[in-house]
Amino acid sequence: MSLMKQRYVLTQSQKMMVFILSMSLYGLSNMITELIPAFRFGSIELSVEYFAFIPLTLCILFHPLYAAIGASLGEVIFGEIMLGQFGGLGELEKFLAFSLAMFIAGSLVRDPKNRRQVGIAAITGVAIHQMISSMVDIGKVWVGIEELEAVPGLAESVVVIEGVSFLNDVLFSGILFALLPTMYLVPRLYGKIEPLLGMKPRDNKIRYSLGQILGPRVIVLSIVAACAALIAEFMAESDMALIEWDADFVDTYGDWFIWISIGAAALVALVTILVMVSRRRNAGGKGVSHG
Amino acid sequence: MEQVRKLLDKISVEQIKIELLNTAYGNADTLLARLDPRTLFIWYLFFGIAPWFIHQEPVLLGMFVFMVITTVMSRISPLIIAILCMGLLSQAGYMLVASWFFGGNWDTIMPLAVLTLKLSVISLASVTAFCAMDPEKLSDGLLKIGAPAKVSFGIAYGYRMLPNLLDEYHHIFLSFRLRGKAPEKHGILYWRSVIYFVKIAVLSFYPLLLSMAKRARTTVEALETKGFSYAGYDAEVRRIKLAHLRMQGRDYLFLAISALYVVLLFSLT
Repeated sequence: MSLMKQRYVLTQSQKMMVFILSMSLYGLSNMITELIPAFRFGSIELSVEYFAFIPLTLCILFHPLYAAIGASLGEVIFGEIMLGQFGGLGELEKFLAFSLAMFIAGSLVRDPKNRRQVGIAAITGVAIHQMISSMVDIGKVWVGIEELEAVPGLAESVVVIEGVSFLNDVLFSGILFALLPTMYLVPRLYGKIEPLLGMKPRDNKIRYSLGQILGPRVIVLSIVAACAALIAEFMAESDMALIEWDADFVDTYGDWFIWISIGAAALVALVTILVMVSRRRNAGGKGVSHG
Repeated sequence: MEQVRKLLDKISVEQIKIELLNTAYGNADTLLARLDPRTLFIWYLFFGIAPWFIHQEPVLLGMFVFMVITTVMSRISPLIIAILCMGLLSQAGYMLVASWFFGGNWDTIMPLAVLTLKLSVISLASVTAFCAMDPEKLSDGLLKIGAPAKVSFGIAYGYRMLPNLLDEYHHIFLSFRLRGKAPEKHGILYWRSVIYFVKIAVLSFYPLLLSMAKRARTTVEALETKGFSYAGYDAEVRRIKLAHLRMQGRDYLFLAISALYVVLLFSLT
């Protein structure tokens, strides 16, 4: 027991190091994935959701809590605020769900050299995260549409869409960008990266039983976090989106101005791209182009 | 696919870096940038949340026009606006296609368009509010409204380090490409090249993890020399640090004009 406590005791500055490391790396990867386009085949979307292997690796190698919180904050700062996509209250749900999933994945591993354990933890982490987001999304529709059963096929289709996207995220994104890289990175980094932060590697001689890992603290934490995530999401979106399906206003107003706004958005995108292209061409002419 | 590749060629890493730095530091002299961060928070709280509860399209449209004006005024970088527009349009398109799949018809376009309008008002509000402030201002403002010291540090650090990190990542990526061998054939839908690039993109994080770990240690040591972790919790330190934030005449004027505009919109419809 004393040994187990030993592993979790980090000094204030070591916690800060783990936090900074996780924040900046995951933030960077988020910025990169934001810029990678998605491939769509009908309703199935093959997209790089996130480079989940970075927070997973760090949660497994270091203190899971600080690595998880750092990664979530990094996502909000780099991927949202800096790109101007900060979603206000809705970000809170993402933040909690992601921290929780990564924390659980990190706590599951007791021996970072054991690839099977690392792999199971990685895929579990992604599955937990996607599960929470899918449940929140389905719940949003149930709450958002007052007479969901009255709309033919909508309830089933929402569940089907969410189920497909869950499987797709876990099986495609999860395997390619969480499972394989984590299994590659963790054993290689174990023992190499910790001295750079001035700390000892996690001791793999300590064995916990599953009961110890899923102790009351983790379970209570997960329930609380899951509830908080749901509440946050409902608060952000309680009166949203799908309520507009009662279409009584369609005949009240014409729909021309909507087209104007969409057209304006498209036009701005087009003009921006053109400006960027021409700018690059100018820069290339002066010989300062960078690739 | 071809178009996407061409577009990606245009968006180079250098370009992105320059745009981000521009966003962060390039527009300190705009009207919005000189406002107090708290003013912008209040302003954002209204324009970021209120559109969800408004169902009159003229009001939403008026708000959209207002957001466009403020966005132009705060000189947001074109890259950010391009990303925003692509996101909004693709989301609306996807939902439209999905609804057709399950028995929707042309009537579904209308609610979706209204939703897109709402979303664009909200995103433009957040772009204006958060990109108008330079990073120091944003982190000071967050500290003032009670965010933990780590959050405000994270923002400042992110803006400072991101260009360096992107640079380093890019260098590692390029050296992997130099030493590696690209696939000779692209394959159907470029799948060979895609896999090759994705693999490099993932592998490049290995050296970056190690060098970033070193850098994190240096950063924390520098922070501790300045007493960061204790200063963060000390009320007196916070007071001195944030003494420069003051609500001035132009803050109240800006809020008043915004409020007046919204009231006008509602009364006109």
